[in-house]
Amino acid sequence: MRIFLAEDNLGDVFLIEEALKRQSLNCEIDHYATAEEAIRAAELCGNAGAPIPDLMMLDYNLPRGNGSDILAVAGRNPKLAAVPKVIVTSFLQADELAQALELGASCLITKPVDFESFMRDVGAKIAELLRAGGEPEAATS
Amino acid sequence: MTAIRERTTLSVAAKVPPEENGRVKLLLVDDDADNLLALQAILEPLQQDLMLAQTGTDALRLCLEHDFAAILLDVRMPEMDGFETAEMIRARKKSLQTPILFVTAYRSDEQLFRGYNLGAVDFLFKPIVPEILQSKVTVFVELRRTEQLLRRKAEELERAEQRFRAVLEAAPDAMVITNQAGTIELANSRADTLFGRSREALIGRDIHSVLPAWECAEEGFPRASQQPTPEQRLIAYRDDGSPFPAEITRNSFHTPDGLLITTAIRDATDQAHAEARIQKTNLELEKRVAERTAALRYSNEALRQFAWAASHDLQEPIRTVVTYSQWLSQIMNSNLGARESKMLATIEQHASRLNQLLAGLRQYIQVSDSGLHPMTPVDCNAVVKAATWNLQAMIQESGASIECGTLPTITSLELPLVQLFQNLISNAIKYRSAEPPVVRISAQADENYWVFSVRDNGIGIDPNYFDYIFGVFRRLHVSEKSGTGIGLAICRAAAERLGGRIWVESTPGNGSTFHVSLPQ
Repeated sequence: MRIFLAEDNLGDVFLIEEALKRQSLNCEIDHYATAEEAIRAAELCGNAGAPIPDLMMLDYNLPRGNGSDILAVAGRNPKLAAVPKVIVTSFLQADELAQALELGASCLITKPVDFESFMRDVGAKIAELLRAGGEPEAATS
Repeated sequence: MTAIRERTTLSVAAKVPPEENGRVKLLLVDDDADNLLALQAILEPLQQDLMLAQTGTDALRLCLEHDFAAILLDVRMPEMDGFETAEMIRARKKSLQTPILFVTAYRSDEQLFRGYNLGAVDFLFKPIVPEILQSKVTVFVELRRTEQLLRRKAEELERAEQRFRAVLEAAPDAMVITNQAGTIELANSRADTLFGRSREALIGRDIHSVLPAWECAEEGFPRASQQPTPEQRLIAYRDDGSPFPAEITRNSFHTPDGLLITTAIRDATDQAHAEARIQKTNLELEKRVAERTAALRYSNEALRQFAWAASHDLQEPIRTVVTYSQWLSQIMNSNLGARESKMLATIEQHASRLNQLLAGLRQYIQVSDSGLHPMTPVDCNAVVKAATWNLQAMIQESGASIECGTLPTITSLELPLVQLFQNLISNAIKYRSAEPPVVRISAQADENYWVFSVRDNGIGIDPNYFDYIFGVFRRLHVSEKSGTGIGLAICRAAAERLGGRIWVESTPGNGSTFHVSLPQ
């Protein structure tokens, strides 16, 4: 399993890794700390030997752009069409959420303040998405 | 003859103007004293002032001094006969019109012709028939009386007209009197000056030539004794064709010739200039206000964006601190001493609190900005339901009972309304007394407003702080009560954004009631 993670807060990257571990999910994480890096990576996915992730987790507010900018680029890459994309953020305004959903985000994961909730809820959601995302891809290939 | 003279003199001495005693003067002229006495006796019942003369000269003298209603003149007299006397009387302007009745014994055509030629009005033939004499003289007495009456009336009219003109001239405005069609019948000298025309040129003209928009109101005008019509601004034209703004008021009065309309006209040029200046000043003021408003709006928007970004960007590190301190305490659980545990708990507690403050601040900013959205009908029952749903955990934990009456549907905004009620309810639960909290929500119509009341049985509020509590980050209690100090500030921001206001009534130890008035 491979996760495309756009997240500027290294603390959150560490938390997500912990959550995955607690879900017993053995994942490789491709981490990008800025929107710019994530956009470049999203363009390359599936081309020139770059791997296709099983899940794209995008923070919304990032340096040099936001989650929607990455979604827009990912939407133009046919290799990423079947990959589930989620926005993972602590707070999102209604219009931002609407835009993200329009650009192909399948859902929104709100980062809980509470550590236990983070481990439980975020971990479970990722596991669910990885399961759901893997199936249609398997059917087409 | 002496006796007669005396009578004459006496009569003259009375000097009572005929107008006042209603008597007129008659002159009887005969050279024969007996004839005079006879005439006098016949005319006495008429109760007029009789004057007697025995010669033409005397008669002339009396005519100079008195104005007679009629003269009875004997034709045959020595020295100067009746015709000669009549001629002399007629020659004087004063007595030119005095009716002369000749008394004669002869009925000759020549005499009649001469008499009438000299202005005789009648002839009386001797012997005199008293009734005829009386009735003929009565005619002249009546004639004179009528004439006097007419003259008096004419004088009165003249005086009235003079008074009227004096009033017209003394008026501060130009006054123009017209008939209903607008033909000018009278104008004062201010009207001449105002229009640059002579009065004669104005009189007889159509008022529309100077005031084209002048109209005769269908419902008529107020009477002269009443308040005139309200001021009306029209364009008037001077004789040279130059226009000027005029302010007119009108009223009317009845005359035998029909209704006349008085139009008072005032040159409003100065006033119009002043108005234009005021308007210009107002426009400048408005422009400056608009500029200031734009500047304020800009800085407001900048501040809002700053507050929003700050509340948002601070959220991330704080959340991370909370999560990590929890993670650490979880891992270290068994290996930490009491001191270290307390230190870690304090970090977590304060980070959590900062997190709550930021959430409150975001809510506050959101409510403050909500005024930009259009208002729609909102069912307040559903609003309270949503608010209590959001507070489920708190309500269950505290064992609070929320009693809500039937609430109206108002034209408002749902989000700030939910936040308003949510914060009021959570405030009521937070500051509860030892008893289980009971929150009662009701609404009462008050003219164009609904006054909502949220009543609790909590600890109450000291009246000194009734205003203070609505400020941002204002708290009355230490953090154990878990307040962020922003809940009531959100309520106030919401109430004000929704065009209403909020206030509180409370007795410490006896609960509080928060009232919110909102437009219907």
